[in-house]
Amino acid sequence: MGKQVVIIGAGAGGASVAAEARRRDPSLAIALIEQRGQVSVAA
Amino acid sequence: MPYYIGDVIQEEKRLIARTPEKFRETGVDVRIDTRAEEVDEAAREVLLSDGTRLPYDILVLGTGTTPLMPGIPGEEREGVFALRQYTDALRIKSWLKQVPCRKAIIIGAGFIGMEMSEALRGRGIETVVHHRGTLPVSRWDPEFSKVVVEELQKKGVSFVTGSELRSVEEGIEHKLRLVTNHGPDEADLILMAVGVRPNAVLGKQMGLPLGKSGAIRVSFSQQTEREGVYAVGDCAETFHRVSRRWVNVPLGDIANKQGRIAGVNIGGGAMTFPGIVGAQSFKVFDLEVAATGLGEREAAEAGFDPASTLIWGNAIAGSMPGNSPLGLKLIADRATGKLLGAQAVGKAGAVSRINTLSAALWAGLSLDDAGWLDLAYAPPFSGSWDPIHTAAQTLKRKL
Repeated sequence: MGKQVVIIGAGAGGASVAAEARRRDPSLAIALIEQRGQVSVAA
Repeated sequence: MPYYIGDVIQEEKRLIARTPEKFRETGVDVRIDTRAEEVDEAAREVLLSDGTRLPYDILVLGTGTTPLMPGIPGEEREGVFALRQYTDALRIKSWLKQVPCRKAIIIGAGFIGMEMSEALRGRGIETVVHHRGTLPVSRWDPEFSKVVVEELQKKGVSFVTGSELRSVEEGIEHKLRLVTNHGPDEADLILMAVGVRPNAVLGKQMGLPLGKSGAIRVSFSQQTEREGVYAVGDCAETFHRVSRRWVNVPLGDIANKQGRIAGVNIGGGAMTFPGIVGAQSFKVFDLEVAATGLGEREAAEAGFDPASTLIWGNAIAGSMPGNSPLGLKLIADRATGKLLGAQAVGKAGAVSRINTLSAALWAGLSLDDAGWLDLAYAPPFSGSWDPIHTAAQTLKRKL
């Protein structure tokens, strides 16, 4: 299994990390943790 | 988000760049309504609010900002909001539907306060802005801030200055009553827009070094001082290409870029974030307001010897119908003649000038360069001498 990536916060920054890392390396295990009820919002 | 609250953007889903479901389709394990309570660095695990311990090889902090609150009694009352997150926008919009909201008070006169005054006024709500100072949007020259005040007043928004907040109480005529040094003022909604600070709680807990701004220090690759730990967006610092200093600028476009850089590096690539020049814009009713680079005070703090000029020109050719005045201020360094910053205000053309000048700052252009830039001239878009040329040549003569 690929490396385990944990991203804390799914705002513009965190969500962009998840999307780009996934594109680059499909073997990564990526978890995106968000304390609110929604992710990746246009400001 | 102000445009969603103001019903300019009607559908909630249009605000969401990518839903949890979309992420899950790509195999990302999305956990909403879940807090990261603590990072156990020895075990390389994140402790979540549901009790799970999530192991990591690589950790990314994208913890955003925390809205500042004035710290007055009653500020936690129902109907008092801060606008920072999407969920705040939903709560405000549902409050507007739920109560007959005839009047709103906005506390704070930064750009969020300005955007929100347009959003609420646009819904037909009587709107009052309370500001502790005398002029709004302190980044801009007082002459431009006065134009903003005039625009608010023209559109029926009251602007109260020198307001010292005392408390929020239950209202009689309206739901809530704000008490200030000026006495009571009632409203059905109170929006706190006094600013934000970086939320670096987890970073601090981990002992990561913070910058002067209180944001997490990062390298150009978005890595923190700790191996395998990245930070991106509003909780992290950013390199300012003009001041050559590390700053914190909580804007979504910067967060997107930093996130992509970190994602590239985590995904096996190698990319660095080139930094920012401090470009920013907002709209308030019929006015475009924009700025880039450094103001005079920031320039002096960064060790420059700033000189400035403020001109009023034409947004398009002066002979054309529909022309409107355009205010443009330029700041440059006396010693080198280099452009340091710009501010603009007008019904049209302010943002386009600031975007051009942002590219100039990015490239480190001088006033001589800016004064002779080859710009796209045609009467519907500018005079044959653009305000950029005029301002740059005027300031050059002053140095």
